[in-house]
Amino acid sequence: MEQPNVKGLLILSFTAACALLAFYLSVIKNVTVVYPHLFYIPLMLAGVWYRKKAIYIALFLSAVYILVTYPLWVLDPDLSVSVLERSAILIVVAYIIGFVSEKRAQVEAELKETKDYLDDVITSSADAIVVVDMAGIVQSWNKAAEDYMGYTAAEVIGTHNKKFFADPEEAERIMAIVLREGELKNHRTVVLTKDNKPVYINMSAALLKDKKGVPVGTVRVSRDITKEVELEEKIKERRNNLNLILESMPDGVYIVSKDYDVEFMNKVLIDEFGDQVGGVCYKVFHNREAPCPRCKNTEVLTGETVRWEWHSRRKNKTYDLVETPLKNINGTLSKLTIFRDISERKRMEEELNEAKEQYMAIFEHTLTALCVIEQDKTISLANKEFESMSGYSREELAGKNWTDFIEAGDSERVRNYCDERRKGGAEACCLFTLVSRDGALKYVNAMIEPVPGENRCIASLLDITELKKNEEKLRETIEKLAELDKMKLEFLNVASHEMRSPLSPIIGYASLLEPKLTGRERGYIRRIEKCARELEEMINRMLELARIDGRKVELNLEEFSLSEVVRKVIKNLEPEAKAKSQTISSVTPELKIQADKQKTAAIFTNLISNAIRYTGEGGRIDVMVEDRGEDIYACVADTGIGIPEEHLPKIFERFYMVDTSLTRKSGSLGLGLSIVKEYVKLHGGRVWATSDLGKWSKFSFTMPKGQLTNGGE
Amino acid sequence: MKKRILIVEDAIYMREMLVEMLGAEREEYEVVGFAVNGKEAVEKYKELKPDLVTMDLVMEEMDGIQAMREIKMYDPNALILVITALGTPEQRNEALEAGADEYLWKPFTVKNLSDLLKKLLRKEKE
Repeated sequence: MEQPNVKGLLILSFTAACALLAFYLSVIKNVTVVYPHLFYIPLMLAGVWYRKKAIYIALFLSAVYILVTYPLWVLDPDLSVSVLERSAILIVVAYIIGFVSEKRAQVEAELKETKDYLDDVITSSADAIVVVDMAGIVQSWNKAAEDYMGYTAAEVIGTHNKKFFADPEEAERIMAIVLREGELKNHRTVVLTKDNKPVYINMSAALLKDKKGVPVGTVRVSRDITKEVELEEKIKERRNNLNLILESMPDGVYIVSKDYDVEFMNKVLIDEFGDQVGGVCYKVFHNREAPCPRCKNTEVLTGETVRWEWHSRRKNKTYDLVETPLKNINGTLSKLTIFRDISERKRMEEELNEAKEQYMAIFEHTLTALCVIEQDKTISLANKEFESMSGYSREELAGKNWTDFIEAGDSERVRNYCDERRKGGAEACCLFTLVSRDGALKYVNAMIEPVPGENRCIASLLDITELKKNEEKLRETIEKLAELDKMKLEFLNVASHEMRSPLSPIIGYASLLEPKLTGRERGYIRRIEKCARELEEMINRMLELARIDGRKVELNLEEFSLSEVVRKVIKNLEPEAKAKSQTISSVTPELKIQADKQKTAAIFTNLISNAIRYTGEGGRIDVMVEDRGEDIYACVADTGIGIPEEHLPKIFERFYMVDTSLTRKSGSLGLGLSIVKEYVKLHGGRVWATSDLGKWSKFSFTMPKGQLTNGGE
Repeated sequence: MKKRILIVEDAIYMREMLVEMLGAEREEYEVVGFAVNGKEAVEKYKELKPDLVTMDLVMEEMDGIQAMREIKMYDPNALILVITALGTPEQRNEALEAGADEYLWKPFTVKNLSDLLKKLLRKEKE
């Protein structure tokens, strides 16, 4: 309040001085021309100080001027015009001065306001704002700078900015860049706080120029980005870890930026496609000028993970691609792609499919009806043959219980068959009657096998209806044959009786007649008797063989002396041999066996009488018995006509004829050898023949000694 | 004393032949009668009470087996010689079980018959 008063007093005193001077000049010195210029001094001061109010001062001054000069007007009326004119000029000048001063004051106020605002901004800015002059001396240092640097403005203004940087050269470098470029953007550097602690900052700087455009300094805006840098480091570390993981992955991995730049490739992929990091993916991998039509970059960059299969024609490989967004440090997204080479899997899949198809074809076209039975007994798969066997289509079969197709009488029995099979209980084969769609009954032999490691079974069904019918026929035939066999035995029984009956008077009368005859007649009657006896023997043998076939013959075991039996047989046959001048010799150790005595005798009788029959006049017959421990061995050898080798195995067959010439001479071998074979067999022995045609024959057999009471002396 | 013999046989030529054969030793044997079937045989046995019976097995009306059983029931000491063409062990056993004392298998000679008769009569004495 005092200042305007001082100013007012000053203006007033100037005005008074001017008025006095004007008065002095005009009145005392009588200078007619009084110049109002003196009044310009207070007027200007007023204009400067009071601006628009200067107009009032100008009016006041004009009034003073008129007053002062009034005496002159009286003297010189012309002068009044001049005085008024000059007063008007004075007022106008005062107005102009006032207006101009007002404008200037306004601009100044605005400037001040701006400056205050800027100061506020600078002071309150979170970013450090520092002004450094061209010499590197700090001119301005705001609050934020104080905060993170620890220095107060007073401490640093006027000092060189070099000491703030971790790298002392940095101050020069920044200055150089700013001078060269006019600005510096997002420059990252490290500064040292008052406590000598490094702080990461992000600095932007601009060149300060004076009105003439001469650079006067730089203003630097910096931000403490230690936290961001630390975060960045962490992310980088993580990224490095990620890369490490990606490197050690057996799959190929690459990272592509949103602009298709290959940012990363792991070793697997580099080995495969070469190091293409830095290249544009569609160019380096696909030789394209534009992104691939199937590229998933857009989807992935919106945050989606995409999985798809890609076949590389170049490599002739198929890859399973998993593409997923990857957040970069700067917040942008890249695409991380994992390449898994599935060519081998694909190939195996194809092979597997092929094999499956093959097996399915076999399954389908095999001529056995096949079906797969699940644990719940439903049919899950059936082949063509199964369809044609059951008459149901596989659509109709699917899901049905397999026992649904089995006749009610059998289905209960086989209901749990599969379960039992799985437990290893039931037999592999099961028989049942299948009811086909048209109601036909089919007799089926099913083989049901559990599939290893699974709960299902595979069943193969064989339609044995025909077989069954044949079996039935066969059984009927067998029964018929047995019946026939029985009938044959019956017939032979009756026949032998009936044939024997007429033989009876033949032999009977012959025996009555014989003593009454003499000479040739007696010979005749003997021959009749002998032939009748032969016929009787034939009948006996036929009957015996039929009885053997009908299992009517049993062994009547007893212990007896074999040698004795052999001797007796030889004795009985000796007359026959003598009639042909043959000699029978025997080598028989004293030997007891347990056997059927009668049948043993029959064996020897048959063999020896055969030998007699087929050996010529004067031949020799050798009978030999050997003790061979558990068994006895016996043979009857002769010097007869022999048997052709090819006939040897067959001579024990019934009515086997060796050859016609032989037959003519001696007839059929008859049934004697068959009886021998059967009797030996009944005893558990073996019989065979050896021969040298025209020279000799030898019939051998073995027979167990049987259970002897006394170890067999 | 001559042994009185009853011949049971359905075939006439066999009956005649047996008479012939026994006639060869007429001081030993005397044929006292014939029967052509089992039923008749039993009746004749009761009527004639012979020392020995020759018995055929296969006959009509009543077969030899049944006849033997009945005769043996009537007279357990009856001597019976079976003369038959049946020769299987089963048939033989059946006959022996029914009471046959000896078994002569057809065909046979006069000697076979006389040997067996002697053996049978000797056995009786014992």
